[in-house]
Amino acid sequence: MGRAKKDRRQKREDYRAALREDDVTELPRKKFYRQRAHANPFSDHRLIYPPHPDQMDWSSLYPDYVVDEPQQDQQTPAPETPSDRELTPARPKRISKDVEVADIGCGFGGLLVALAPLMPETLILGLEIRVSVTQFVEDRIKALRRQNEAAGLYRNVGVLRANTMKFLPNFFRKGQLAKVFICFPDPHFKARKHKQRIVSTTLNSEYAYVLRPGGIVYTITDVPDLHEWMVQHFEAHPSFERVPEDEQEADPCVPIMRTETEEGKKVERHKGQKHVALFRRLEDPAW
Amino acid sequence: MAVPCHLLKVCGNIVFAAQGSDIHSFSSELEHISTWRYPVKQGAESTTPAAEVQESPAPEEPPAKRRKVGGGQEPTSNGGAAAPTDGQVKSRKAAQYDNPANERPFVQGLYATADGRHVVAITGSDKTIWVFEHDGAGKLKELSQRAMPKRPCSLAFTADNRTILSANKFGDVHALPLLPSPTTTTTSATTSSSPNPTTGLPLSRSATPSTPTATAFKPQANELTVHTKRNLKALENQKRSLSRKAFEDQQQQQQQQAPPPFEHALLLGHVSMLTAICVGTATVAVPAVAAQASEPGTSIGNGTGNGAEAASAPARTTVRREYIITADRDEHIRVSRGMPQAHVIEGFCLGHEEFVSQLCMAPGGREELLISGGGDDDLFIWDWVNGRLLGRSGVLEHVKRVAGEDVDKVAVTRVFGCGWQGTTAVFVVVERVPALFHYELLDDSRLQHRETIPLRGNPLDVDIIESPSGGQRLLVAMDPSASVSIEEGSSSLVVLDKQETGWKQTNVENLPACEDANISADELQKILYSTESLRKLTDFD
Repeated sequence: MGRAKKDRRQKREDYRAALREDDVTELPRKKFYRQRAHANPFSDHRLIYPPHPDQMDWSSLYPDYVVDEPQQDQQTPAPETPSDRELTPARPKRISKDVEVADIGCGFGGLLVALAPLMPETLILGLEIRVSVTQFVEDRIKALRRQNEAAGLYRNVGVLRANTMKFLPNFFRKGQLAKVFICFPDPHFKARKHKQRIVSTTLNSEYAYVLRPGGIVYTITDVPDLHEWMVQHFEAHPSFERVPEDEQEADPCVPIMRTETEEGKKVERHKGQKHVALFRRLEDPAW
Repeated sequence: MAVPCHLLKVCGNIVFAAQGSDIHSFSSELEHISTWRYPVKQGAESTTPAAEVQESPAPEEPPAKRRKVGGGQEPTSNGGAAAPTDGQVKSRKAAQYDNPANERPFVQGLYATADGRHVVAITGSDKTIWVFEHDGAGKLKELSQRAMPKRPCSLAFTADNRTILSANKFGDVHALPLLPSPTTTTTSATTSSSPNPTTGLPLSRSATPSTPTATAFKPQANELTVHTKRNLKALENQKRSLSRKAFEDQQQQQQQQAPPPFEHALLLGHVSMLTAICVGTATVAVPAVAAQASEPGTSIGNGTGNGAEAASAPARTTVRREYIITADRDEHIRVSRGMPQAHVIEGFCLGHEEFVSQLCMAPGGREELLISGGGDDDLFIWDWVNGRLLGRSGVLEHVKRVAGEDVDKVAVTRVFGCGWQGTTAVFVVVERVPALFHYELLDDSRLQHRETIPLRGNPLDVDIIESPSGGQRLLVAMDPSASVSIEEGSSSLVVLDKQETGWKQTNVENLPACEDANISADELQKILYSTESLRKLTDFD
């Protein structure tokens, strides 16, 4: 058993290392990236996140959007006191536009890959808590960019490992996002695990914070109870209203969410039900 | 084990000091006035351990947490039906020593309303919020005790002093009326699953709104949501065993999770442990139209003008707004709107790279500034309305001069701001460092270290009192077991007077005897020094 495990790990590492060679255009294979399906959102993972959205370095995720600007360090005089220097931490390279679409719990990245050509001018970010799965999406995007070098496709998608339940405001400023996708989230069937669900009364305030007024939260699940839960919690939140069904069906993202996510395909194979609900971020009330 | 005073609250000319689970009051001359003692059921000490655990501590308290007993024998906390065996007799003393029912919870927070008429305390292991009426002369009258579902870690009051905001370890903030009205207690219990009219939010994060309570148990998964052979089989089994027993279990569980029978509303929550909460007010300039749309009575200045005035000129008016500021273990400081719009997040003060443990609104009319401290090497000064970091001020560098150069981290346990001899002072306590750090908040919003006051023990809390002669004195609660020298006699309450040559330290000698004698030194350390444990130890993915 132990030996088999070791062999498997060795194989994985070899495979992933080979894939990372510069000229490989082959798409990664899921079997070398499997990870158990659940992660505890309350534990302190070894996560990397910026202390403030301004300190987030997006340039490695979206290298084609990096703004070439002259290094200003030489021109401005050096700060006088040490505390001044701490206040202005090394600014990361700027990119020409902000991420506006986030896929929370992007899994193996099916939605990201399908959305990329649909909105080629918008930066899309997938967020995933599991290390190996994030690695898979990273390699997948890399391969897709290489395969479509001439067309310049998939330059606008990126993926990050993050615990969004805790650290969403570390990545996005207030009102930065136009769309947030929550696709086939972990259902957490047991009542005592409900607090780990990605949709809750108190977490919805954070989604409202990162979304601009008029922005949309897209949810889809194959679990009827979870669908009900998400609808109840978003409708109960004063910052959101449900998008009517005709408008929902007219949204081009909805069919993609139904058919292109990995879970969506799996549910399709098993002939399961898919429940979709969209919620619009309302203007904050006057006070 | 002698328990030191560990919390201080000066309320007018009365000093309140928490020692273990007692709250003493002292006059400004530091003469003892009275003591409130945590109520313990009479006769609990004399009964056998088995009988003790059967008794619940108080009807509205949740059962005490089960804890491991030193002797390896665990007391059965649910029932105690086990027959007395030899092992149990042997460990009887140990069981009594650590028995949760026997233990009196420590006071973990001590607060007073701005008008000084009410004192509020949190006790730790029973998660209870106590409200006392203060007669202005040091006498406390117990008005209410409310056992919260999760342990509160910090409290704040709304500006009108009528509502308690309780931040808990689970990450949620609840609003409770300072004085619970007896009429609402019954209604709030029944409406718990419907959205709260004042906040528009359901009362509990995990409660599904408008779920009928008496539905029979039904597995949430179905043949379409589980796919593997094993899971399908498990589902089948689950459905087969859907019997009366399952139904009863479900009902029992629901009864256990029933919300406490008093009015409390969920305002906001972090997915993290909350460490501090405070209420900030800011006077904000807004277009006159927006001011009119807001609540009447909140606008001041020319906001009372009529609609014609607002329409004719690009009139701007000022509104006084209340905010709720919360800090958590995951480096965040969140600024939310005050009630009833606490669900709106206005911004974050981001920049900490370790846990935040203390928030302090700058004193002396500088309420646009917030000072925060925690596991970082520095204190942070914020323009909190705009979420902007204004400056940092070192703590570690000054701690090194007291505790040695090899100290590489600090845990700030108290940031106390006050007017001090014509300046705006901030006194800082760092966990397990026998000194008090005095900073001055300058007019340009910089926080400058003024001096380090060495102490004879580890300070636990600090406050200031007006001395009878009119000057200001510092009052420090400290842990004398860590005293550097004991020949002068140790006390856990020390008065510091600024003199030209330095600080004169006077022990408050007449402390009443503390009854919390049966607590081990280790346990006491754990209770008194809990801040450093907030630091993350990430040794796994």
